[in-house]
Amino acid sequence: MSDTVDAEDLALLATGFEAAMAEETRPAETDQALFDLGWAELLSAAPSQGAATAFRALGTTNSAAGLLDDVVANALGIGISPQTCVVFPAPHQAEAPAHPQGDAMVVDGLVSARAEGATTAVLAVEANGDVSINSIDAGLLQGPVAGGVDPGRAYRRLSVEIPADALVPVPTSGSWESAVAAARTALAHQLLGGARWMLAEARQHAVDRAQFGRPVASFQAIRHKLAESLVQIEGAASVAEACLDDPDPLLAALAKSLAGQAAATTATHAQQVLAGIGFTAEHQFHYWLKRMLVVDTLFGSASSLPAEIGHHLLSRGTVPRLIQL
Amino acid sequence: MDPETFRRDLGAWLDDNANELAPPYEGAGSMDEQMAHYSHVKRSLYDAGFGRYGWPESVDGLGGSPLLRAMVGEEINLRGLCDPNPWTMIEVLVPTVIGFARPEVAAALVPPFLRGDEMWCQGFSEPDAGSDLASLSCRAAKTDGGWLVSGQKIWTSFIQYAQRCVLLTRTGEPNSAHRGITALLVDVDSPGITYSPIETMHGRLDFAEVHYDEVFVPTERLIGEENGGWQVAMDILPYERSTTFWHRGALLHRRLSDLVAQLVANGDRSDTAARALGHAFQSLVAFRSRSRDTQHRLADGQQLGVETSIDKILITSAEQQLFGAVRDLLGGVVEFDDDIDAAMWRTDYLYSKAAPIYGGTAEIQRNIVARRLLDLGPES
Ligand SMILES: Cc1cc2nc3c(=O)[nH]c(=O)nc-3n(C[C@H](O)[C@H](O)[C@H](O)COP(=O)(O)OP(=O)(O)OC[C@H]3O[C@@H](n4cnc5c(N)ncnc54)[C@H](O)[C@@H]3O)c2cc1C
Repeated sequence: MSDTVDAEDLALLATGFEAAMAEETRPAETDQALFDLGWAELLSAAPSQGAATAFRALGTTNSAAGLLDDVVANALGIGISPQTCVVFPAPHQAEAPAHPQGDAMVVDGLVSARAEGATTAVLAVEANGDVSINSIDAGLLQGPVAGGVDPGRAYRRLSVEIPADALVPVPTSGSWESAVAAARTALAHQLLGGARWMLAEARQHAVDRAQFGRPVASFQAIRHKLAESLVQIEGAASVAEACLDDPDPLLAALAKSLAGQAAATTATHAQQVLAGIGFTAEHQFHYWLKRMLVVDTLFGSASSLPAEIGHHLLSRGTVPRLIQL
Repeated sequence: MDPETFRRDLGAWLDDNANELAPPYEGAGSMDEQMAHYSHVKRSLYDAGFGRYGWPESVDGLGGSPLLRAMVGEEINLRGLCDPNPWTMIEVLVPTVIGFARPEVAAALVPPFLRGDEMWCQGFSEPDAGSDLASLSCRAAKTDGGWLVSGQKIWTSFIQYAQRCVLLTRTGEPNSAHRGITALLVDVDSPGITYSPIETMHGRLDFAEVHYDEVFVPTERLIGEENGGWQVAMDILPYERSTTFWHRGALLHRRLSDLVAQLVANGDRSDTAARALGHAFQSLVAFRSRSRDTQHRLADGQQLGVETSIDKILITSAEQQLFGAVRDLLGGVVEFDDDIDAAMWRTDYLYSKAAPIYGGTAEIQRNIVARRLLDLGPES
């Protein structure tokens, strides 16, 4: 494994990242701050550990920093910078987001907030079953200002046609499949970071809020909802951790699917426990909920991944033994 | 013994002896056939040495990490050589008996159990004490040289095949709850013990109702301290949720593979099938990953505790999703068919309904997670 950063340094970086992400700055400034803290060096020294550390912090802080761009570019073997963005697959999918049509390139995907200020964009194109990686002028990706459910505007949909001759092939050292796996693992850690935040909010509320003369945490229906959330989080977290020692793309798909499911379950239960206050714009809960909805769709979701995984098993005809003692 | 070497040697030995170790009956077999085969497999493993690793020398083991025991059960289950249920009793009861029984008692009684020459059972539940185990009332009264046990137990698995029973008794005042419970290691052929097997809904005589009428148990068969039985019971539970779960996870893995093979044979590559398989597989992987962490903590000498309730909830949902998918995808096989494969699917499907009941119900596990892991304070 190339992942070699000692635990102490990692913990120190994690604290630094969290502090930078918690600052109320624009995503581009956060990205720059993270690069200043050594994000690029971390990612090259320890791609999976480093990404997991940063993405856990993204989940906890709900920052809209564009680190997914870096994880994907790095996995492909492309140098990263705060001015380089990546075009991600369309929601719930993991296929390359562009395909040729005549002289044009049809792009149907997602971009992060980084695309706004970026100079270069990385675009994966699928043609005749092969994926090629290209670079384009990020100016070609400008579209309507992001709307959507997420007030933090971390990602927006991108649907454009660009001239095919605008693409410059980029040499890569990693496959698209490995980039998808890296993205899924990182996003699983983000979803679980967010789920842990939501669970902690709901737990504190349950303990503090009294009705019928006692804390609502004393009601079994409430307790079981929170317990169920923790169980799903821990199950998914164990798989997301296992991905750090095993780059198997199937394991990454499982981790992302489980994390999305755990986050969705936790969001539903936390919302119910928070009740009225959790439905307000004033309580912070909705920011995490909405980000979770968006992040779940990236590179395959909890609703699309089980079928993808199942088709994989059916075409293999056997079930691989992924987790070894 | 290095675990990787062990796994390789074990695999090679199992391959060489595949015919010798395969069940001599088709399908699940009768309970008698199953138990006889279990003894045979255990004995073979013991004689070859593999069944002795992971157990201390004080009980005739060959030492080494408990991971080795997890591996043996895993390989046996992946190959479908032996039903995992009788096997669980050793993993559940022996670590605690070694830790709490008198050393000379453990040294004398455990080896035949490990060799497969004996079966033991667990007498905890009573008609009026299920989830509320601490309210049990089967009484042990002090007498010359030991105790006289009188009362009733229920759901005691495998007692009709067993020589010994780890029994929880009331030695304190009737309302002394967990403070007045004592654990005893009882010979099942002691005068005064009568039992009648109870048929389960999957058609087996898995467990029994047991009556104890002034059954004499000598002093040296005390496990732990007098009135310290609750501590013994609490020590057993994490073992119930570690090694044996790893074994059962291997069985679930094999059955998921069987399901995939069956769907491929049926030509079913539908999205419906794929989605259900994906859900079943991801639940199983979540369980296996969590359980692997637990096996390693056990092997590192850490004390397992309430956090294993998470393992229990995860394996329960993995088991139910898998056999739920079997019923949904095999188009009536569980409901109507009577060939050997169908009978096995039906048995497994029905048995999966017990997963949220035995070893502490699904609700009790969630109560533990809420109270002990989420620190939500007392229930109202
Ligand atoms: C296949 C099988 C094998 C078994 N083998 C053995 C064995 O070898 N030895 C042995 O001693 N026992 C054995 N048992 C018994 C098992 O441990 C008990 O069935 C179990 O502890 C539940 O007890 P109960 O059946 O009396 O249910 P009860 O405790 O009566 O529960 C009834 C329902 O009420 C719920 N409930 C109870 N208390 C609470 C609470 N505080 N909060 C929320 N819900 C609650 C339960 O979850 C359940 O849904 C076996 C059971 C099965 C199914």
